[in-house]
Amino acid sequence: MLFQQITNGLTIGMIYALIALGYTMVYGILKIVNFAHGDIYMIGSFLGLFFLKELQVPLYVAFIFSAVVTALLGVTIERAAYRPLRKADRIVPLISALGVSTFLISVAQLIWGTEMRPFPTTFGAKIYTVGSVTISEIQILILVLSCLLMVGLHLFVKKTKIGTAMRATSISLTNAALLGINTNRMISLAFAIGSALAACAGIMVGIYYNAVYPTMGYMAGINAFTAAVLGGIGSIPGAMLGGVLLGLVEALAGAYISTQYKSVISFAILIIVLLIRPSGILGKKEIDKV
Amino acid sequence: MNRKVLTFIVAALLLALPLLLGSVSEFWMHVMIMIGIFSILSMGLNVIIGYAGQFALGHAAFYGIGAYTAALLLINYDLSFWLVLPIAAVVTGFFGFLLGTPVIRLRGDYLGIVTLGFGEIVRLIFVNWVDVTRGPMGLPGIPAPKLFGYTFSGKIEFYYLILVLVIITYIVINRILHSGIGLNMLTIREDERLAASIGIRPNKYKIMAFTIGAFFAGIAGAFWAAYISYVSPDAFRYMDSVNILAMVILGGSGNLAGSILGASILVITPELLRYVSEYRMLLLGLAIVLMMIFKPTGFWGEKHRKLNFYGKAQKGEGK
Amino acid sequence: MKQKRKLSIGLIAILLIGILSACSNNSGSSESNTIRIGLAAPISGTQAQYGTAFKNGAELAAAQINESGGIDGKQVEIVVSDDKGDSNEAVTVANKFVSDKSILAVVGHFNSSATLATAPVYNKSKIVQISPSSSAPGVTDAGEYTYRVITTDAFQADYLADWSKELGYSKVALIYEQSDFGIGLLDVYKQAAPENNIEITATEAYNPGEKDFSTVLTKIKATNPDAIFIGGFYNEAALIAQQAQKLGMDVEFIGVDSLYSEALLELGQQSVEDFKLIGFFFPGGDNAKATEFAEQYQASYNSKPDTYAAYSYVATSLIIDAIKEQGADRESIKTFLDQVKDYEGATGTLSFDENGDVVTVPSKLKVENGEFVLSE
Repeated sequence: MLFQQITNGLTIGMIYALIALGYTMVYGILKIVNFAHGDIYMIGSFLGLFFLKELQVPLYVAFIFSAVVTALLGVTIERAAYRPLRKADRIVPLISALGVSTFLISVAQLIWGTEMRPFPTTFGAKIYTVGSVTISEIQILILVLSCLLMVGLHLFVKKTKIGTAMRATSISLTNAALLGINTNRMISLAFAIGSALAACAGIMVGIYYNAVYPTMGYMAGINAFTAAVLGGIGSIPGAMLGGVLLGLVEALAGAYISTQYKSVISFAILIIVLLIRPSGILGKKEIDKV
Repeated sequence: MNRKVLTFIVAALLLALPLLLGSVSEFWMHVMIMIGIFSILSMGLNVIIGYAGQFALGHAAFYGIGAYTAALLLINYDLSFWLVLPIAAVVTGFFGFLLGTPVIRLRGDYLGIVTLGFGEIVRLIFVNWVDVTRGPMGLPGIPAPKLFGYTFSGKIEFYYLILVLVIITYIVINRILHSGIGLNMLTIREDERLAASIGIRPNKYKIMAFTIGAFFAGIAGAFWAAYISYVSPDAFRYMDSVNILAMVILGGSGNLAGSILGASILVITPELLRYVSEYRMLLLGLAIVLMMIFKPTGFWGEKHRKLNFYGKAQKGEGK
Repeated sequence: MKQKRKLSIGLIAILLIGILSACSNNSGSSESNTIRIGLAAPISGTQAQYGTAFKNGAELAAAQINESGGIDGKQVEIVVSDDKGDSNEAVTVANKFVSDKSILAVVGHFNSSATLATAPVYNKSKIVQISPSSSAPGVTDAGEYTYRVITTDAFQADYLADWSKELGYSKVALIYEQSDFGIGLLDVYKQAAPENNIEITATEAYNPGEKDFSTVLTKIKATNPDAIFIGGFYNEAALIAQQAQKLGMDVEFIGVDSLYSEALLELGQQSVEDFKLIGFFFPGGDNAKATEFAEQYQASYNSKPDTYAAYSYVATSLIIDAIKEQGADRESIKTFLDQVKDYEGATGTLSFDENGDVVTVPSKLKVENGEFVLSE
């Protein structure tokens, strides 16, 4: 049973990691928690559903289309709901994010209704058994694709010029601007990439659980945020580590302690981490300048 | 004298309301009572968010703790409601203190998440601790309050009770806020370092804010339990916290009367707009974003407060 | 101070709006030309699909009577009010209905918690409330004016325990929803299991809305049960079945009537094959009324009805019959219901007992080739 739980935990952990990346990138640059990110993930999932069901495109096309549209959505939200508030009190964009989140959920409910919908694909149903562990095709996809995406992001951020510019912006917005970096564009890029990753996660989840519904972003969002914080918010490898760790802890705690209190355990971890080591595992200790 | 006349008219209307409405409509009496409950909740939250500047997201949890405490005491121990009300408030205030103590070190966004987490944990405990709370089945059959042998049986009694509670809440919080405590909180809100440098200990006042906010939420919760005579976890969810937050924001953080206004708007509007109720959340979300962009201080919020060196607040220009 | 004046003006404005609306609201008195029946259900929110089922069922009943001229020439109108599946909102809805003198009775609510929360309101104003779906045992004592057309969880779980024995299960695991519904089923099944020689190998709860059952199922797999009893609704049941399949579990599934829905088949596909459930609503079986209802539902809404639509239809039909026989009066609806015996409807033959609970016998169903059929 242990290895099976670990496999399950890893799978869900990868999903958390993908979503967590969105939180961490936005936080790294803007220092705000995009409460609406979980709902962006949800929209990405529904868009995937739409492309697969209504337009009947092949799966990989659905991934690409959904990622692009969701990225655009993320950028639009930034422009409309956060950019005007850049100069305001810290609390203001947070509340605005809450508003955006509520708005997105309602829009999804109005367009797609409130029921849970199945994902129309037969991909991923095959299962393989290795020893005492049963793993399905979709789990393999999740593990592989997530790794690829994360490695890709890592390389992008470390090796390319734009990626470096993004990193510079997240270290210091003003300094980056002084260096001639178009910070607005970097911010938009962060939102775009984060949203695209979330969309991919959304589609994979849609296939894995064969269910999408408008409020799916809430718990996923909170868990992903926990993962980001756990690994060190603002740190990309941190988000990945945090995601995997959280997934494992949840699965094992659920298995050996209690399944109902699974969410309580996630929250408890979040709270403990924030209290003891707010910078997370891989995060840098932030110095509060006067 | 204008002011006095207005106040008198309002007071008279409020007192006479049940006689005008009571026999005509149970429903509107219920709405007025709900406005009362949410006014208390949002005034309490206003202390935390508006005055102490702490972005707290889990307020519905305090409401729930108050309600469950009251319910359990009333059902299992047959105590008088008038005793249970303050007990529930104190217990909830204590939880506010408990929550406040560790989290005040955190910055805005983290604080929001942690308080949200707290709210969820409390709710999950309500749902899962079946032995005590009966979980999702809730606690039915809560006895109504008795006053001098007369048992509350209709909306009118509850209306007057909530009216009294709202007034007490307003007066008490108002007094606190206009005293040294309140001004210290404002100082902390505006600039924590400055406050510390002139000898105000931020932590003490932040914790106080949480305790006060929670205390009054406990009152609201206890009232709710007695009024509906049934408590279940689904009255205290994340969306309910967001709702209360919206009331504070709409009315104007930092303005108690605004909280009452915010509560009124957010309780009445969905009723008036019942036929477009599917759009309700959509409009709410949109409204929150727009308010933040155009009027972050709410309808009746303070425009721009300026603080002078001695911690006294003055209203700046543009008022 | 400007603040006080603003406060006063604001409050007055609100009070005035409130009063005006209240007065205009009450012009819908009992002098209208329609017979108004209230329907309280979650039309929005996470349980909106059940609310829609309620609405459709009730409106179908009304439409049918209206086609044949209504009751005494008056058309029947279903007044739908959204309780969002939330007991708070439900109380507000209940108060609204109760204040509207033209509402004769209420079909609702969906959740047992909503029904329990609103029962005091309806009972105080002496207006009948019939729930199509609130199966928690607590509803039995909710009040004189509270009825339901669904049997209690106690009854269903008990029946299911007997059937489990017949099916030859000796080890059963329970997955139940952490809600009034699921816990109710769990308790009774657990109690009835020993006398049926059934060993409960595991009991795992899930929070409503949970999607990931892999942890739970992995735990259960280790205990090697013959079957899993799902104490929840069809959405989660389908997910559980699929995930069990993905884990390579070889196990049978049983459940109660909350599983009966096309959605179970749609969401679960192959994995719900051979699911066993008890149901009170089964078109195409011995109950001609059920088949008739399903056909009419299909014709009107272009989809197959689930259990909840059927229950709602039955509840509404009962009220309509009451009005037909005794007239458009709140109290006489109650007296009619108290005397209902062997009413033949889409969900079987039912009678109300002295608590407003219903006594009836279910059918044993299973999923075969992607369809619901009678088992044995």
